Amino acid sequence: MRSKTLRMLLSLVLLAAFVAGIVGCAPATTEAPKTEEAKPAEVKPTEAKPAEEKPTEAPPAKPYEGVELTLASMTDQYVAAFRYLIPLFEEETGIKITMDELGYVDLYQKLTADFVGKTAQYDLMTVDIVWSGEYATNGYTLPLDDFMARDKEELQLDDIMPVAWTLGEYEGKHYAYPLAGYANVLNYRKDLLEAAGIKPPKTQEELLEAAKALTKDGQYGIALLGAKGSAVAQDYMAWVQQHGGSILDKDGKVAVNTPENVEILKFFGELFKYAPPGSTDYWWDQRETAFRDGMVAMMEGWSIARAGYENPEISKIVGKVDIEPAPVAEGMEPKYGFGGWGIGINASSDPEKQEAAWVFIKWLTSPEIQKEWIRHDGAPIRRSTLTDPDLNKEYPWFPKLLEAFEKGDGDYRPRIPEYSIIQDALGTYVNAYLVGQETAESALQKAQAQIEANIK
Amino acid sequence: MKSLTLTFRRFFRDDGHYLLLLSPLLIFVVAVAIYPLFFSFRISLFDYRLTDPNQTQTFVGLKNYIRAFSDTVVIDSLKTTLVYVLGTVTLELALGLGLAMLLSAETQIARVLRSFLIMPMAIPPLVVGLVWKALYNADFGVIPFYMKAIGLNVGRGPLAELKLAMPAVILVDLWQWTPLLMVIFLAGLKSLPTEPYEAAVVDGASRWQSFWFITLPLLKPTALVALLLRTMQSFKVFDTIYATTAGGPGSVTTVLNFHIYTVGMTFFDMGYAAALANILLVVIAVLSVIYIMVLERQQL
Repeated sequence: MRSKTLRMLLSLVLLAAFVAGIVGCAPATTEAPKTEEAKPAEVKPTEAKPAEEKPTEAPPAKPYEGVELTLASMTDQYVAAFRYLIPLFEEETGIKITMDELGYVDLYQKLTADFVGKTAQYDLMTVDIVWSGEYATNGYTLPLDDFMARDKEELQLDDIMPVAWTLGEYEGKHYAYPLAGYANVLNYRKDLLEAAGIKPPKTQEELLEAAKALTKDGQYGIALLGAKGSAVAQDYMAWVQQHGGSILDKDGKVAVNTPENVEILKFFGELFKYAPPGSTDYWWDQRETAFRDGMVAMMEGWSIARAGYENPEISKIVGKVDIEPAPVAEGMEPKYGFGGWGIGINASSDPEKQEAAWVFIKWLTSPEIQKEWIRHDGAPIRRSTLTDPDLNKEYPWFPKLLEAFEKGDGDYRPRIPEYSIIQDALGTYVNAYLVGQETAESALQKAQAQIEANIK
Repeated sequence: MKSLTLTFRRFFRDDGHYLLLLSPLLIFVVAVAIYPLFFSFRISLFDYRLTDPNQTQTFVGLKNYIRAFSDTVVIDSLKTTLVYVLGTVTLELALGLGLAMLLSAETQIARVLRSFLIMPMAIPPLVVGLVWKALYNADFGVIPFYMKAIGLNVGRGPLAELKLAMPAVILVDLWQWTPLLMVIFLAGLKSLPTEPYEAAVVDGASRWQSFWFITLPLLKPTALVALLLRTMQSFKVFDTIYATTAGGPGSVTTVLNFHIYTVGMTFFDMGYAAALANILLVVIAVLSVIYIMVLERQQL
């Protein structure tokens, strides 16, 4: 008798749990989100209007005093500039900003979880150039076009380098505002190249020759990113760009296993012969360490790291480095890989917070603050910053950077919603080729197959 | 007074009250264990991607499961997982038992050594992974430095060589979890009766014989617990792999759980990830049952 009731009750509870599990998260109808999707576009202008009037009505400087914002920042060099500038901004406007510093993989995952759950944990976020397509398609970040149209004069939009708009622009709208522009440059050791009688390589073929010649006596020619994951995928894509290849075909479909890309992969593998043996395990920071330590003679990488080589606390090569825009294959019209970060506003944040966040973006990207941004390890986005006489004295490599920005290509890593799938597949199989698990052909074939299986 | 205890007794005998008192636990178990299980089973039957802007969920039946068994990455990662589990569990059992025998004596040195050996367990696996990654680094790491010093060829470094990556990762696991098995075996050893040993000494058994014929059989229940615990943990390994190799080089250390993580947290393909996770769950459950059956039969 007792066990019978017990059993009945237990099975009832189990049944309830089962039903709850099945029904608990009933499939959302397609209609409801669609209206939600339309909302930001419709609502934002009306929300923006009262704020538009605010400055004229109440000129006193701190309309958003007491608003608290959270910022998720990548732990790139520019995070130091955030640390320095945020307190100044807080004092000026009374807006409080709490910053979370996150590594590349963590940042992407935390942000996606935040967007998908519409939890608005972060109001502001640094957005990698390659995420713009995904964020735009899913409506994760707020399109800034209404704000930009409203504050046109203040923003001096013409002053921002054209290529910098790729940091967040997608299909004509701006889902992140340019924050830090990086050019793919070749860093090289003046002393080592001079001693070996080698001119700074201008083409990929010269680069390979130089790497070969400079690998001797415990020194290596070039430092590369080989670690499985985003590191090796992004470095390979950089080489695809420099050889005039493409990850997408003419119709914008993913096509990584083309004969050209196989050849480029073999060239990339050839370069690894003149890289430190541990290179196939290098992430960005280890590559930096190898170069700063004086182990390698050349390194292609983002321009933002350049200033660090002159800092004796972290560098053994002070005064020995110069840069050139990253060499391209012979006969190719020079185009330079461009990357970096935009700054976006969470589409699910309160309108008031979004306004305050926009105030921060405006302030941060204004020409005066940009100088301080650069001096504290930030990266440029404005022509006026790159041509500023004072800054050019402090950073003598700025003219070369300007040249790389002028001919910058921000799309060599496809800024499409499927980017993370492409990156993951290349990250696995290019690494597998480098360590000898796959041939160049089979590696790219498997990468293509994995991409196709995961793209809906 | 007497009547009070009587009603008290009656209260507990009564079916309804008995269940009432049990209900907090039942609710807890249902909320924490059973509901998520059903939920994960449910979404494994759907095409459910978090990154889909419309958040549509279409019912696809067992398609996710069928896809899993035709996915070469899954099959390969299952094999990799098995190698990892076999490597870690057998070595840890042997080493753990050895250490426990060595350090079971209550001497000053044994006590100090025991507490030192337990330290790795107190460090989060992620931190352990990062520390070992630095130690293993081919160009700046300590281990390759000494390997080079004695004339060994380290190549791309232990974590980046196809043949060395798996042993290198297993070594990290050994370093961290052997002490746990040592502690379990120590507890087992301390609880053994002394009489059989006395009888064995009288009968003229050697120390090896008394270990082989008395200690080992008596430790079987302890070994079962240790084996089960570590097998399940080892099947679920994630943090160490994530921090050291990220499943590389190529895919030689991509264990199933790491692949599930990629599907779930990089592609946000929740339906497929849930299906894979359920497969892992079934594999672990089946193995556990087999272990228990085998060891129970032996005991009879």
